[in-house]
Amino acid sequence: MAKNLIEKAIDWGRRKSPWIIHFNAGACNGCDIEVVDALTPRYDVERFGILQQGTPRHADVLVCTGAVTLQTKDRLKQIYEQMPEPKFVIAVGTCACTGGVFDGCYCVNGGIDSVIPVDVYLPGCAARPEAIIDAVNKLLASLEEQQKSEENTDE
Amino acid sequence: MLMALFHILIFPGLLFLGVYGLIMAYLDRKIYARLQNRQGPPWFQPLADFLKLLGKETIVPELANKKAFPFLPVLALAAVTTAYLYIPLWSMSSLYPFEGDLIVILYLLTLPTLCFFLGGWYSGSVYAVLGSVRVITQLFSYEVPLFMALLTPALLANTWSLSGITQYYAAHPLYILINIPAFIVAVIACQGKLERVPFDLPEAETELAGGTFVEYGGRLYAIFKMAIDCELVVVASLIAAVFLPFYTGNPWADFGLYIVKTIVILFIFALFRTIMARIRIEQMVAFCWKYLVPLALIQLIVNLLLKGVLA
Ligand code: SF4
Repeated sequence: MAKNLIEKAIDWGRRKSPWIIHFNAGACNGCDIEVVDALTPRYDVERFGILQQGTPRHADVLVCTGAVTLQTKDRLKQIYEQMPEPKFVIAVGTCACTGGVFDGCYCVNGGIDSVIPVDVYLPGCAARPEAIIDAVNKLLASLEEQQKSEENTDE
Repeated sequence: MLMALFHILIFPGLLFLGVYGLIMAYLDRKIYARLQNRQGPPWFQPLADFLKLLGKETIVPELANKKAFPFLPVLALAAVTTAYLYIPLWSMSSLYPFEGDLIVILYLLTLPTLCFFLGGWYSGSVYAVLGSVRVITQLFSYEVPLFMALLTPALLANTWSLSGITQYYAAHPLYILINIPAFIVAVIACQGKLERVPFDLPEAETELAGGTFVEYGGRLYAIFKMAIDCELVVVASLIAAVFLPFYTGNPWADFGLYIVKTIVILFIFALFRTIMARIRIEQMVAFCWKYLVPLALIQLIVNLLLKGVLA
């Protein structure tokens, strides 16, 4: 069954308005500064419809930084569960991807994907703001592909 | 009957108001962005946001009141849409004018604020409850100057009906100048009504993580957002009708004029939002009661005296 007009419009809306929420799972703060950097008027992410939200209930994309520590593990899971479907996760920084330099530390659980599923991995120590914006764009591009393939298989 | 339904649902009711609300939201964000020297969102951004929110999962939290929580956004939107029907748009008279409609509009515009309060109160989150308390505290400080500012022009016109006021001032354009202090008070108090910077304490993203709307997501938040955008249009139209009654007599030209007036008022609102930062709640209350209320009172006395002189 092909998607009807309303579903297509909602798909389009999803691609055009990624609202993000930023969570620090235990970063050294290097990546967080870069995330905040990306939200400044200089980079003007509102061009792509990206808006920073204060609460997980409004957000579509969870931007996570840092290796997951034992302290933040449950909180991270909780925040992820509080976000309404459909939701996406971007792991920003090497630590978030694999645990990075903190991997194997007594208090570290591992990368973000050791707790919640991750859609885009963005390595870098710290990841540059341009790269963060690019990561969101790549996420949206992959979303578009997925939506298209859904449409084709359904037909 | 059919005509009334058309008015309520399509023009100038829900559909037109919704579309115009989205356009206003876009203009607001674009002006804000340009004033900050950046590019700003594309023209379809508010529409994309709205559609996306409609397509998202709707969560009703376990601690929330299951009946009131989903109902309140709809009530807010309905109140705003109803208020819009009583405002003159393309002529000096609104669609359904009656003596006292100005008061009805003001009360209908208070309903969304109450909905924000109850929505936060019933959602069972501490952040939301804190936001709700701020909504009500704020309500008590801006509502008095706002009512006084909008009712003093009515005093001079000797009528409680919005159409009557518009006609009176259209016939005596020079009297508009007398109401300039009331205009200033109304514009500032409206920032509180619309919960915009510098009076956006209930939402205060950086301290309250979204305030009253913390638990709202998906479709319910979409309706709330739509209600806020529409409220912006209604408030701008109300100020335009009371303080800027310039009409040509031709409905089409007047409708164009109405659009221009509301956009000018929106520009003032956006300017406020850009150049100011959020203030604390007690500063907000003090400001409203110490400066706005006396200014509105002076306006009241001036208008009373003038009325005696003119009579
Ligand atoms: S990737 Fe580098 S900058 Fe980012 S949190 Fe890890 S150590 Fe810090």
